[in-house]
Amino acid sequence: MTTIAADGHLDDHAHDADHKPAFFQRWFMSTNHKDIGTLYLIFAIVAGIIGGAISGLMRLELAEPGIQYLQAWASMHQGSAASMDQAYHLWNVLITAHGLIMVFFMVMPAMIGGFGNWFVPLMIGAPDMAFPRMNNISFWLLVPAFLLLLGSTFVPGGTGLGAGTGWTVYAPLSTSGSIGPAMDMAILSLHLAGASSILGAINFITTIFNMRAPGMTLHKMPLFVWSVLVTAFLLLLALPVLAAAITMLLTDRNFGTTFFDAAGGGDPVLYQHLFWFFGHPEVYIMILPGFGMVSQIVSTFARKPVFGYLGMAYAMVAIGVVGFVVWAHHMFTTGMSVNVKMYFTAATMVIAVPTGIKIFSWIATMWGGSMTFKTPMVWALGFIFMFTVGGVTGVVLANGGVDDNLHDTYYVVAHFHYVLSLGAVFSIFAGFYYWFPKMSGRHYSELLGQLHFWIFFIGVNILFFPQHFLGQQGMPRRYADYPEQFAYWNQISSLGYAVMLVGVVIFFVNIGWSLVAGRKAEGNYWGEGATTLEWTLSSPPPFHQFETLPQIK
Amino acid sequence: MTHYVKAWILALGLILAPTAALAQEAGPEPAATEAGASAEDTAGSDGLDPDLYTPMKPTPGIGMPVDGGIDFQQQFSETGKDAHWINNVILVPMMFGVSLFVLGLLFWVIVKFRRGANPEPSKTTHNTFIEVVWTVIPVLILLVIAVPSISLLAKQFEPAPEDALTVKVTGYQWYWGYSYPDNGDFEVISSMLPEEEADKRGEPYQLAVDNRMVIPVGKPVKLLITAADVIHSFSIPAAWFKLDAVPGRINEKVLQIDREGVYYGQCSELCGARHGFMPITVEVLSEDKFNDWVRANGGTVKGGGEAEVADAEGAPAETAADATGDENATETAPAEEAVAATN
Amino acid sequence: MDATQTSLSEKNRRSAIAAGMLVLGMLGLGYASVPLYEIFCRVTGYGGTTQRVGEVQAATIKTTSTAMSVRFDSNVNSALPWTFRPEQAVDKVSVGARDMAIYIAKNESSEPVVGTATFNVTPVQAGKYFNKVQCFCFTEQSLKPGQTMRMPVLYYVDPAILDDPETKDIKEITLSYTFYRSKDGKAVDPAISGS
Repeated sequence: MTTIAADGHLDDHAHDADHKPAFFQRWFMSTNHKDIGTLYLIFAIVAGIIGGAISGLMRLELAEPGIQYLQAWASMHQGSAASMDQAYHLWNVLITAHGLIMVFFMVMPAMIGGFGNWFVPLMIGAPDMAFPRMNNISFWLLVPAFLLLLGSTFVPGGTGLGAGTGWTVYAPLSTSGSIGPAMDMAILSLHLAGASSILGAINFITTIFNMRAPGMTLHKMPLFVWSVLVTAFLLLLALPVLAAAITMLLTDRNFGTTFFDAAGGGDPVLYQHLFWFFGHPEVYIMILPGFGMVSQIVSTFARKPVFGYLGMAYAMVAIGVVGFVVWAHHMFTTGMSVNVKMYFTAATMVIAVPTGIKIFSWIATMWGGSMTFKTPMVWALGFIFMFTVGGVTGVVLANGGVDDNLHDTYYVVAHFHYVLSLGAVFSIFAGFYYWFPKMSGRHYSELLGQLHFWIFFIGVNILFFPQHFLGQQGMPRRYADYPEQFAYWNQISSLGYAVMLVGVVIFFVNIGWSLVAGRKAEGNYWGEGATTLEWTLSSPPPFHQFETLPQIK
Repeated sequence: MTHYVKAWILALGLILAPTAALAQEAGPEPAATEAGASAEDTAGSDGLDPDLYTPMKPTPGIGMPVDGGIDFQQQFSETGKDAHWINNVILVPMMFGVSLFVLGLLFWVIVKFRRGANPEPSKTTHNTFIEVVWTVIPVLILLVIAVPSISLLAKQFEPAPEDALTVKVTGYQWYWGYSYPDNGDFEVISSMLPEEEADKRGEPYQLAVDNRMVIPVGKPVKLLITAADVIHSFSIPAAWFKLDAVPGRINEKVLQIDREGVYYGQCSELCGARHGFMPITVEVLSEDKFNDWVRANGGTVKGGGEAEVADAEGAPAETAADATGDENATETAPAEEAVAATN
Repeated sequence: MDATQTSLSEKNRRSAIAAGMLVLGMLGLGYASVPLYEIFCRVTGYGGTTQRVGEVQAATIKTTSTAMSVRFDSNVNSALPWTFRPEQAVDKVSVGARDMAIYIAKNESSEPVVGTATFNVTPVQAGKYFNKVQCFCFTEQSLKPGQTMRMPVLYYVDPAILDDPETKDIKEITLSYTFYRSKDGKAVDPAISGS
């Protein structure tokens, strides 16, 4: 830690901005926003591989009716012959782990921790984040959080090993319904991940408010920075509520309180209110930085400034604000009165308006542009369309009366995978290809990038589109097995996973190839469309940048 | 192969689970013996007097999912038909309209404004008029959706009439209990049938249960829904019905199904290991046959007058069914007629 | 250079403290939500929470000629070795009139057991019009082995229910109780349990 204090000294001795600390200090005690960003991205990739592998197991089991593999996996997992109930419990552990990993350890670290850390300081012309050491703590809190979650799957959690409550961790299934340390470990893991994100959010807000280069007013900030700013506020307001809710779960489990236990006068539905008060903003936390990245990319490749910049920025603010007053649309079937249901139906539909503004503004940005279709751009275009598809099914689900049939079916699964797996993940890939040469100094293979997009695009659509049909036919979520009547579309869905997997393999081949043999990247490899400050630097940027602050006109 | 293992374990579970419940519920009510009897014999409903009740055979494709189906299940309740209409006539066209419009625009800009076609980008970054347009038009579209949607909600919340039959639904880990407080308060314990047994009865495995919930046709039935342990959710897709069963509190919703027949649903809130294996089967019968079923369960029939009214309304085929033991044939007949009528 | 540095770090410190306060505020709100939710439910009848009134206020209510039926529902958690049922499943009352319902509980075990009840009414929007003057659910109940106890609920339905468009069509209100074994037989915080 002393290195930080010594930073100023180092400059005195060696005026080389690219002077890097030794390996251990650089990567384990890092205070450099770019290195921490890199750590986050590597972490997100590792978590993504694990979370994605879990979904592979699920699609394999669901490929045909009947239990084919689950019992064998459960036996392997616990090291002794597993009963059928233990196998079913393993299923619940898989869906829980998949959800939590993808939300807290893949999408959030990649977007906020990874791209946010790397490019927010670069884009606003700051030398680093406001609190470099806190930044390091944020990242290193995430590692034990992830280990706790993974570890929880190997300790008793009720019927079998691991926490099997779904990522929503509803009481009383998560309290009296899950005996054993697994649930406690999973809850602690969320505490740590939440603390990590809150520290990160404080850091971003401080950095963005105080460390913009001279002349860069809030209304001149790149939209990606705006998106991270709004996201950081959502994190500040939403995560403490989750922390409170899961802490109460912990005390209900271990210290005899009855916050959510009807036996002591508590109400399990209150937990759902608290969870979704966090959970709904959380879905915007996962998508808003994606909006920001897509705005940068579309503008770059259309060689035009973003259309309706202010509308775009304030649409994100509006989405963030409205996102806090719609939470109970996740609870339409818990037994609420008609007026409450009507309110949440109407409020939820309002979100479609700012979202529509964003979609149309992206198209208007391209309108009149001079577009090239490099890899990041095709991902951004894919994002715009797929997010629209996910958005319109969201309007359907917003209708409380219609949701009575669709709630907790595969229709909901299809909806949120369209906005997250095809929305957020597409934007992550778009951002990755957009900035990878900037971060690594190496070009990737354009051919492989395009191939990755098309195969992944086709794969995920085959994977998730049929799930709308399954949901309309009534197939509930979180089922390890299903009646034969659901076989057809499940088989196709599983096929889609295989196609998608090929795309992911191409992605890794591409990264590997470019790191080894990729062409060296120049400072601004996208040309005149790329106007933000990171393109004024070399690729990769020097270890310390903007020692003289840039002046924004 | 695993099928057999699972079926065997489930059969064991079926025997153990309701017995455990019996111990927990230990009460003097007649329901106890009823539940106990069905617990020992997984084909419990066979234990009911066959002169009074024989389980109806389901009609394939009705009240259950259809393989490869892409639409909702055919609806048999008033609110279900309304909701289905809203989805298919308003929401689906809206979805296709918006998605194709966006896709069309994307193709247009891709073709028209690619570098080859338009080497010099324009510098336009604002157009207040167009920005107002794309804010206002979505608002109007949403209003068009909101009006029928809100009235659907109002309709779904219409309270039950005064004389409505009340059925209390209790979710357990991992089976359902249906009790009839207006009919002597007997409780029917309903567990999933193992695969061979479902096959034997000609019912879909993982949807079929040993003892069904039975309600009269075409009348609002008030369901009081609660849970004994964790949260479950009671769902019948063919009636557009879903309501959570929350321990420590009761929820209420009106269920009305307008066609005699068998309707399947599945637990729709994660409730632990066997969440996927506690299906719901609702059998909808004429008032007469419903009363017979109540008698077969040792329950009491509420008010003779109502039954006679139902008699007059009932199809002639049903009176025939009363006399004959060959009920399956006669019972499915009017059911098919009803389907034809709704089509 | 030094001056700007200190002023920046001072600004940063202030921003971080402000953001931190926001976090603490939300955290506090998260915990405060438990009593707030409780109060909210009690005031608005949300989720079918019934109202608790004193004798004085109850005496001012006028009886109307409109009848409504009230259904009594009972549940016993599996951890509590009791039977618990209403004496009468359905009761017809005039709206505004005070009525008494009796629940009968019996301890089937061979040891004394303390039970505590939760409750709500449906349709949920009727909660704010369902008033309890007296109820066994306000306190914990202890039963000796084999003991049977008659537990009264003194209640009335507020005539205002007939004027509210959300509730005027309601024909039957269901009052449901679930008895649980009291946690360690200790008294439960009345702020949470009773309303």
